[in-house]
Amino acid sequence: MTEPAAFIEYRAVAKAFGDQPVLRDMSLAIRRGEVMYIIGTSGVGKSVTIKLLIGLLRIDRGEIWFDGRRIDQLAERALVPLRKRIGMVFQSSTLFDSMTLAENVALPLRKHQRLAWPAALDEARRRLAQVYMAEHAERYPAELSDGMRKRAAIARTLALDPEVVLFDEPTTGLDPVSARRIDRLIRELASGLGVTAVVVSHDPPSIFGTADRVALLYQGAVHALAAPADLRASPDPIVQQFITGQSSGPMETPGF
Amino acid sequence: MAAEPHSIPHRVTGWVQQRIEAVGAALLAGSAAVRELWLVYIATWAGVARRASRRRVPQGRQGRPGQARGAIVHQLYWIGNRSIVFIAVTLGFLGMVMAYEACLQLSRVTGDFSQVGSQLLRLDVSDFAPTLTALMLATRVGAGIAAEIGSMKVTEQIDALRMSGVLPIDYLIVPRFIASLIMTLALTVLGGVVMYAAGGLTAKYSFGVNPHVFFDASMVRGRHVALLIVKAAAYGAAIPVVAGFCGLRARGSSEGVGWATTAAVIGGSFAVLVLDFLLSAAALVVFGGDL
Repeated sequence: MTEPAAFIEYRAVAKAFGDQPVLRDMSLAIRRGEVMYIIGTSGVGKSVTIKLLIGLLRIDRGEIWFDGRRIDQLAERALVPLRKRIGMVFQSSTLFDSMTLAENVALPLRKHQRLAWPAALDEARRRLAQVYMAEHAERYPAELSDGMRKRAAIARTLALDPEVVLFDEPTTGLDPVSARRIDRLIRELASGLGVTAVVVSHDPPSIFGTADRVALLYQGAVHALAAPADLRASPDPIVQQFITGQSSGPMETPGF
Repeated sequence: MAAEPHSIPHRVTGWVQQRIEAVGAALLAGSAAVRELWLVYIATWAGVARRASRRRVPQGRQGRPGQARGAIVHQLYWIGNRSIVFIAVTLGFLGMVMAYEACLQLSRVTGDFSQVGSQLLRLDVSDFAPTLTALMLATRVGAGIAAEIGSMKVTEQIDALRMSGVLPIDYLIVPRFIASLIMTLALTVLGGVVMYAAGGLTAKYSFGVNPHVFFDASMVRGRHVALLIVKAAAYGAAIPVVAGFCGLRARGSSEGVGWATTAAVIGGSFAVLVLDFLLSAAALVVFGGDL
């Protein structure tokens, strides 16, 4: 039955797009307050894994449990309260390009917390100030750099004080300094506020500097699950090939 | 007895089976799409109902971006005002062609132009004005809606909306739906007037038809006006739902947005023609020969 230790649990999850299977038999238990990194080659289903959790995609088989409750069969409207507790920072930041940064951050506040617009905008400006974006609150996403957009997207997600934050490749496309700042922020969220972080990444400094545990996805399942130091020491040839970045080895990557 | 099935070579039956399977798969995909489209349509009406019930609670927070009234006003302007010249010009030309053709045929047969204006007006009101206006709107408005929603879909902005606690249909399709309902009717009236006026001028200057004879509303009955309103409402409802549905189904990247836009124009025009057929047939059944 349900294991109380697991905060988030995937049980034998399968997902295919058309006749292209992505996840075949993926099981993973994530503890409350830990920083879990999901790593793997491109197209292996890392982003799919986190989108399945909050119902942006639907599983074909298996079960997903969150905080003692099965959530994979919930209807779209029943997922709304869940999406207040589980936030997501999208890969390309994904701000609404027709809104200013303040309006971007205010939208979930208004919808999830039922704040009126003026109150939501005030709160949004305060949240943007926390990520040093106060002076850009009235600008549009297209006018800003990638790093700034990422910070605004994080402010939008954290504005709801979620218990779980899903990061889809948070450091991809950022300069090393900005990337390490994001890593530090993820670490602080977990250690300081007890937020559970699930991070999709293939950025080794980020993985080995931030993660509590790392799950390596390979061929539609979790191939290895370990603390970063143990993963480094693992004799598994597929793990070694991935973390040392060898182009040749036992790993089969579809289409490349 | 056993010889009969063997008389057809095996690869022929295999080929036939493949064709049948291909047709079957296409039919299944098509019926699934129609079912999904229908669900989007139902969800849109549910969103309209939710919006209407929310509006009754005075919140004192109107006119902000993303807010109900602001979004609808914006869409009214975008769908309506920005289409005025387009609709006037296209329907004006169509009116000229139709009046010219009608007069030309009459001049060859009887030379009696006394009925041409009143009959054309009856046709304009009961069919041409709403249907041609909607066909034009299906291209302009449908493409715009599908491109906008489709690009939001492929850049994950739809997912980000869902994460923000927003139902995408309520937020994106409902304001366009309400605006399209209102503006399709308004533009139909405008298009019909321009069409008839252009036809009258063509008849006068090409065939010397007296405007007093041409501009004659004696043939138009209440049922024709009712048909105009029903058709304009049906088209106005169908265009944004079909376009929004195509946008939400966009996959991949810019290619997906292109596909969604094309599908929205084709699907919207097709929906207008099918609805025209169904509503005209229904009117014939109801009113019989009096139509």
